[in-house]
Amino acid sequence: MHRFRLEFPKDVAAATSLLPSHRGPLTPRDARVLAGGQDLLGELKDHLVEPDTLVSLHRIPGLDGFELGEDLRLGALVTLAVIERDTALRERFTVLAEAAESVATPQIRTQATLGGNLCQRPRCWYYRNEEAPCIKKGGAECFAFGGRNKYNAILGGGPSYIVHPSDLAPALVCLDATVTKTAREGTETIALESFFTLPSEGSVQRENVLRANELLLGVHVPALGPGWKSTYLKFRERESFDFALAAVALAVRLDGERIAEAKLVLGGVAPIPWRARAAEDFVAGKPNTRSTWKAAADLALAGAEPLEHNAYKIPLTKGLIQKAFRKLA
Amino acid sequence: MRVLHLRLNGDDVEVAAPEHWTLLEVLRYRLGLTGSKQGCDKGDCGACTVLVDGKPQLACLRLAATCEGHEILTIEGLLPAHRRAHPGSTDADPVQEAFDRCGALQCGFCQPGMILSARALLNENPTPSRDEIRAALSGNLCRCTGYTQIVQAVELAIAEATGAEPESPSWAPNQNPWTPGGALSAAAPVEVDPEIPGGEA
Amino acid sequence: MKGARRTDGPAWPERDTLQVLHHDTPRRSAKDKVRGAALYSHDRRVPGMLYGRLVSVPVPRAEFEVDLAPALAIDGVVAAVKLREGETQFLGQAVAAVAAETPELAEDGARAVKLTFRELPFAITPDQALAEGAPQVRRGGNHSKVRPKGDEAATEEALAASDAVIDVTYRVPVQHHVCLETHGVLCDYRGGDEATIYASTQMAFGIPGAAAEVLGLDEKNVRCIVEHMGGGFGSKFSLDTPGRAACLLAKQAGRPVQLLNTRTDEFRAAGNRSGSIRRVRAGANEDGKLTALRIECEKLGGIGRGAGGPRPYHYEPGASYFEERAIHTHTDSSRAMRAPGHPQAAFASESAIDELAYRVGVDLVAFRKANLSDPVWHRQLDRVAAEIGWHDHPHRSAPGRGDGWIAEGIGFAISAWGGGGHRGAEASVSIRPDGGVAAMIGIQDLGTGVRTLVAMIAAEELGLRAEDVEPRIGDTILPPGVGSGGSVTTGSISPPVKIASYNARKAFAEHLASILDCPSERVRFQARRVFDADTPGRGLTWEEACRTLPKTGIGGHGAWDAKLQGSGVHGAQAARVRVDLMTGRVRVLKMVCCQDSGLVLNPLTWRSQVNGAMIQGLGQALFEERVLDADLGLALNAGLGDYKIPGTEEIPELVALIDEEDTREFPIGVGEPPVIPGPAAIANAVHNACGARVRSLPITPDKVLAALAKLEKEG
Repeated sequence: MHRFRLEFPKDVAAATSLLPSHRGPLTPRDARVLAGGQDLLGELKDHLVEPDTLVSLHRIPGLDGFELGEDLRLGALVTLAVIERDTALRERFTVLAEAAESVATPQIRTQATLGGNLCQRPRCWYYRNEEAPCIKKGGAECFAFGGRNKYNAILGGGPSYIVHPSDLAPALVCLDATVTKTAREGTETIALESFFTLPSEGSVQRENVLRANELLLGVHVPALGPGWKSTYLKFRERESFDFALAAVALAVRLDGERIAEAKLVLGGVAPIPWRARAAEDFVAGKPNTRSTWKAAADLALAGAEPLEHNAYKIPLTKGLIQKAFRKLA
Repeated sequence: MRVLHLRLNGDDVEVAAPEHWTLLEVLRYRLGLTGSKQGCDKGDCGACTVLVDGKPQLACLRLAATCEGHEILTIEGLLPAHRRAHPGSTDADPVQEAFDRCGALQCGFCQPGMILSARALLNENPTPSRDEIRAALSGNLCRCTGYTQIVQAVELAIAEATGAEPESPSWAPNQNPWTPGGALSAAAPVEVDPEIPGGEA
Repeated sequence: MKGARRTDGPAWPERDTLQVLHHDTPRRSAKDKVRGAALYSHDRRVPGMLYGRLVSVPVPRAEFEVDLAPALAIDGVVAAVKLREGETQFLGQAVAAVAAETPELAEDGARAVKLTFRELPFAITPDQALAEGAPQVRRGGNHSKVRPKGDEAATEEALAASDAVIDVTYRVPVQHHVCLETHGVLCDYRGGDEATIYASTQMAFGIPGAAAEVLGLDEKNVRCIVEHMGGGFGSKFSLDTPGRAACLLAKQAGRPVQLLNTRTDEFRAAGNRSGSIRRVRAGANEDGKLTALRIECEKLGGIGRGAGGPRPYHYEPGASYFEERAIHTHTDSSRAMRAPGHPQAAFASESAIDELAYRVGVDLVAFRKANLSDPVWHRQLDRVAAEIGWHDHPHRSAPGRGDGWIAEGIGFAISAWGGGGHRGAEASVSIRPDGGVAAMIGIQDLGTGVRTLVAMIAAEELGLRAEDVEPRIGDTILPPGVGSGGSVTTGSISPPVKIASYNARKAFAEHLASILDCPSERVRFQARRVFDADTPGRGLTWEEACRTLPKTGIGGHGAWDAKLQGSGVHGAQAARVRVDLMTGRVRVLKMVCCQDSGLVLNPLTWRSQVNGAMIQGLGQALFEERVLDADLGLALNAGLGDYKIPGTEEIPELVALIDEEDTREFPIGVGEPPVIPGPAAIANAVHNACGARVRSLPITPDKVLAALAKLEKEG
């Protein structure tokens, strides 16, 4: 692996001061934050990044806070294992617990953090291949576009066609979470939905708005009122350990035989967690039946633009949406 | 180069290693502990699973320098840990014994990681369901055995510890490896040799 | 005393008299393995050892030059060698290797080697290879000659006259062995005239000669040790590139070198199971008879030949005609992989059988039996059908449709294999005055349980428990073993070990005759005692008997005897699957295998082999495929994250049934046959569940959804 210096700053200010201050996307040599390391160390081993310094967050107190009331505050260093295990969190915010337990493997979830999961880089096998100088790494072309794109985006793609690999992201966006980040200039809280960026917005080399010297501090999930139920359905080819081919984060509030309100976010189909607002608006007030679910699914995927090998994601995601509604019925 | 102070298999260990080395590299190339395997070095196979503070982790995706102040248990430390927890016992850890009895391994390369994942599960939940067993082992790939006898081994270890056969065991009635009364099998127990690398209690 | 011991030479006793053999016996190696004490080639460390790493060109085909100097300039990089000159033939082909003081420095060295190369045009897919003007892969061209078999004219006539005809193409991709321990050796050479090679190999006795040649030593002075190895499945038969590189580096450095494939190397350059494209035209009549079968097979073995398999795959058509050729591409050659050619052949054959059976409306099991004359398959099919619940299944001659959400189905497939041994192996058994017994044979244990078997055979012969015998294997200073391939190991080593044990017992009996005061033919060894058969209540304990031996002990030697083993097995499997109609996911609920194996010497390890084989079949059915970008020449899934083998969440209920009606009283190997039917049975089960026929492996959700959509369109 590349020989880096490992720093253990004692507070956030010290940490941000070790991070680069330029405005552009991270270069391969830029110093990077080390949280659980479950993605970053893989990138290092693949020689995709060669940072001279890793800034470990582990000696900074207060980044792994866990406050569950009617709402939820999670520090960026809370591990996926902790999120998965908390029974009260699972009861109140089921979609988030189910998303957390679907990630990777038990070993990885022990180390992987909330912040790392949200900020992880794509899994596209062109991106991960050292020999492919693709557009996301500063090259000229997205090789997936005309290549083996079975796992790539059907919504929001272009000029890069990656899908966002995070499971927590669609779950948290579904829960209308906000994220707090901090830099030398100050601390800011924004909607998590606005944290992620399409490849057509700003730099194609980024997946989110986080600057090189910014640190994620945590997320806040507002209280879900009474009557809400939620679930996360992650479709993997191999259930033991795989990223999502498609995923559905769904929260509904039922009113007798009708759906009063729904929140629907898709994962594994777009470069960002994909909020299906048209489907959400449609189901409000409709009967909680299969024909509603089917129509909602059609609306959610309207405008999907499949590539040569990933058209199956359309019926797959539609099927998953129907299954999610059925599960919560 | 850094001098790392690690708490490893119950012992305090000092080892000089570059700070960019993973725990797996330090175990295999500095400490001579080759029980944790390098199946892929990328976090995909689970053969390097160790326990850190009792929880399963991939040694290939953990920097050794971040392990200071934590308890590390490798496969070599499982037997001494069992002996420390049960003074006077001459058995091996029940999970190890069970894997042995059930023919749960063929080439054995995945076993250290598999056994530690199973040990971590039983430490947290002494009576998991079969689904919970499978979920706990879902990060350990095995190419040889088809996993069935591995799941049987975990159920056998549970039966041994609780004295009760699982309600719907994985094994067929005529292939029951467990004898009620605690003995792991009717055959005479194989002598367990306490001489192993990595230190002994 | 139950059972008669034959006194006219070594023979396997009747199975219900066996005390050790034919009983579940835990593996001998398990004790070391479960404690992390088992040393694989990856784990060996010797003084002065260097770590090696291979270097390859990052494109499929290139004219190249290698400059090793920048690597050797790195402090700690001690040796560097070139492995090839001129041109590369596939992505990942090693062109050089370096050795350094740590694995990290070896990687630095490998990356520092200066490669100057000019990319050449390549052909990676069959279409590219067969296109006009395609670059030449092999001297003879990009495809081999066609090998025909059968009567083409009669087959065409029969097809024309059949009640139902199908014309379909079945595809199997290139798949990988995925040994958990990658290929590699430790070449323990220290500059003198001898060396020890610790190899992860299926053929210990093939290593010393090859290594001696590379090292420039006398073969007599080169030893190979394989104490434990982490899986082979057919890919580890020779010194191979990592081994050759390790020896060259060790020779240059005068120091031991351990060179192991990285996982990426392992996928790109350590072999694979050849793919295949089979166009099948087949006919059947309404009475359920298979009238005609015509298969054009293209083997996809990369720069190699690929594997074909028997033609036909066991069913008996009225008329048949086959053509087979290999298509060559600039990709790593295929190697033997667990039943080479057979799973691919079975997939096409069994899928065609089901498609025809549905066309003529005949029960899937009945159709099979009607076209197989061997009654062993009939009873095995009946057995697995009963176990899988066939007779209560509603869709036996037409596929089901499901309930709008899920559908459940059953599929069948058969296999055949040899599994007999061959000459070449020898064994020695020695008995010591302290009561210890050693059984020695140089064979390697891939994890199949050979070590245990060796102990069991000797123990049975001497009236001991398996744990009383120390097996010594995996070392070329021991009597010779054979290569572990073709499921020949059991049949090749059981006779020598049996004969050696018999000879040791006979010699011991002769020695004890005077002590027990009876003819040596009456000396019995049973339950760790030795006695005159006429007075079983008297006699000596095993330890007492051994104490009468001279200091040098007593022993026996044995070579192979065809009479103590045999060949020829069948096999049948059934799979039950659930298809999620909304997502295309196939979940295998249950797999049943009924396998004949003659005398099963250790049912515990037998079941383990069969279970493992069924899961490999499941992986090949649902997940496994090598993915290349044919335009860019990239290996896209050369890792265990993207090349997906089954994990614990994929496993169905597995039932491994010994075909008890096979009463042959000799052992037959079982490693390969149970891997053959899985993909076919699962594909058939998917079709049976919902009518979606997927004709290319792996059966991934996208293909199932496409097949379902096609069904819906066709009304």
